[in-house]
Amino acid sequence: MKIRYLQEVFIFILLIMLQVILLNRINVFGYATPVLYIYFLLKLPFGRNHFYTIISGFLIGLIIDIFLNTPGMNAAATTIVATFRKPILNLFYDREIFDEFVPGMNTGASQFVRFTVFTVLFHLTLLFFIESFTLFNAVDTFLRIIASSIVSILIIISMDGLIYRKKSSEQT
Amino acid sequence: MRNLFNFIIRNSHWMLATLLIAFSFYLVFAHNSYQRSVYLNSSNKVMGWIYNTSNNVTSFVHLKKNNQLLLEQNATLESELYLLRSTLNDLVSSDSSNVVAFANDSIAQSQFSFIPSEVVNMSFSGPNNFITINRGSIDGIKPDMGVISQRGVVGVVSNVSTNFSLVIPIINPLFRLSAKLKNSDNYGSLSWNGKNLNEAQLGELPKHEVYNNGDTVVTSFSRIFPKQLIIGFVSRIGESKDDNFNTFEVELATDFKSLQNVLIISDMYYEEQKALESVAKR
Repeated sequence: MKIRYLQEVFIFILLIMLQVILLNRINVFGYATPVLYIYFLLKLPFGRNHFYTIISGFLIGLIIDIFLNTPGMNAAATTIVATFRKPILNLFYDREIFDEFVPGMNTGASQFVRFTVFTVLFHLTLLFFIESFTLFNAVDTFLRIIASSIVSILIIISMDGLIYRKKSSEQT
Repeated sequence: MRNLFNFIIRNSHWMLATLLIAFSFYLVFAHNSYQRSVYLNSSNKVMGWIYNTSNNVTSFVHLKKNNQLLLEQNATLESELYLLRSTLNDLVSSDSSNVVAFANDSIAQSQFSFIPSEVVNMSFSGPNNFITINRGSIDGIKPDMGVISQRGVVGVVSNVSTNFSLVIPIINPLFRLSAKLKNSDNYGSLSWNGKNLNEAQLGELPKHEVYNNGDTVVTSFSRIFPKQLIIGFVSRIGESKDDNFNTFEVELATDFKSLQNVLIISDMYYEEQKALESVAKR
C-alpha cells in the first residue's frame, strides 16, 4: 500500500517534468500539443479518496502552470476533471468494482480507451476554453482541441499499452 | 442540526473542489490584468535553474548551426573593420592637425551598449508567447529594455528577477512597435495576429506608400530600440481593416524556433529621455 503511494508521487513528478521539458515544446502544425499529465488522474485507483484526487489534481495543474507562466489555467481545468472523475468512471466501469482497481489497458482495454478519450477531451476542452479568454478565433480553438486530443490520447494509450506488455512478460 | 452536519461532511469534497476551482479562476483573471505575476513565472529562481539545466542540453544540439552563423557574422565584421581601418589610416596620414593635445575624450561612450545573453526557455504553443533569458537585475537588466538577435529584433524585457528576465517577443498579441520601410519615412505600427510564428503585420501605413515584396522593415522612433534595426522583410500585402491604410505581412528576420543567443540593448539616456517626455505628458 505504501509502495503504491510512493509510486504515485514518482509518476506525479515524472509527468510534470515530461510535460514541461519535452511535450510543451512540441507543436505539430501549430495546433497539436500533447497534454499528458492528466494520465496521473486516469491511473488513480477506483476507490481513492475524493480529497486526495481533487487536491492532487489541483497541485499537478498548479505546478504545470508555474512552469508555463499560465497561472490558474491548467489548475482550473485539472481540478474540474478531478472533481468529476468518479462520475466519469461510473459511466464506463461497473459500479461494483473493488476499491484497489486501477484502470488500464491490462484491465479492460476497450473500457480504458473510452474512459481516456472522454477524460482527455473533457480536460482539453476546458483547458483551451479557459485559455481562449485571451484568444481571438473559436475555429482555431476547436482545431487545437481536436488535434491536441488526438495526439494526447494516442500517446497515453500506447504508453499504457507498453507498460502493460512489459509487466506481463515479466510475469511469464 | 445533525442533518446539516451530515450534509456538510458528505459533500465536503464538492466544497473543496469549488474552493480550489474558484482559486484557480482567480489566478487566471489576476494574471490577465497584471500581465505576469512576479512569483508564478519562469523568471523565478527555481524554475529558472531547472530551465537552465535543460537548456544546456538543447543548446549543445544547436551548436553547429549557431557556430556557422557566428562565423558568417564574424566574416562580415572583419571585412567592415578592414575597410574602416584603411579609411582611418588614409585620414590620419592626411590630417596635419593630429596633435596629442586634441586627444579624444576618454569617457565618451556610445549611447547603446549590448549585454549578451542566452535563452533558457520559451513558449510558442499558445497565444501568450514569452522567452526567458539568463540575465537579470544583477547584470543590469531593467524592464522595457530591447532584445535583439544576430538577425533582427526579438522583443522587449517585461519582467526581471535577480538572475533571469522575461521577454515579450514580437509574436505576442500584446507587442506593439513602431516600424517603417527602409527607403521611406512613413511609419506604421507592427503587431502580431496570433496565426503564424514567422509573420507579423505592419499596419497603418498610408496607401500611397511605394513598396516591393522583399523590402526591409526597420525600427522607427522608439524609446526602446535604436533606429534602423532590421525587423523583417515584406512578404506580401495583407488584409487591411481600414481603407485609408495598407497592412503588410512581414516575414520576421529572427527565427524564433531556433533562437539561442540574444543581445539586450542598454540605453544610457533612457531614464533621461523618459523623464523629459513625462513632462510633456503631464
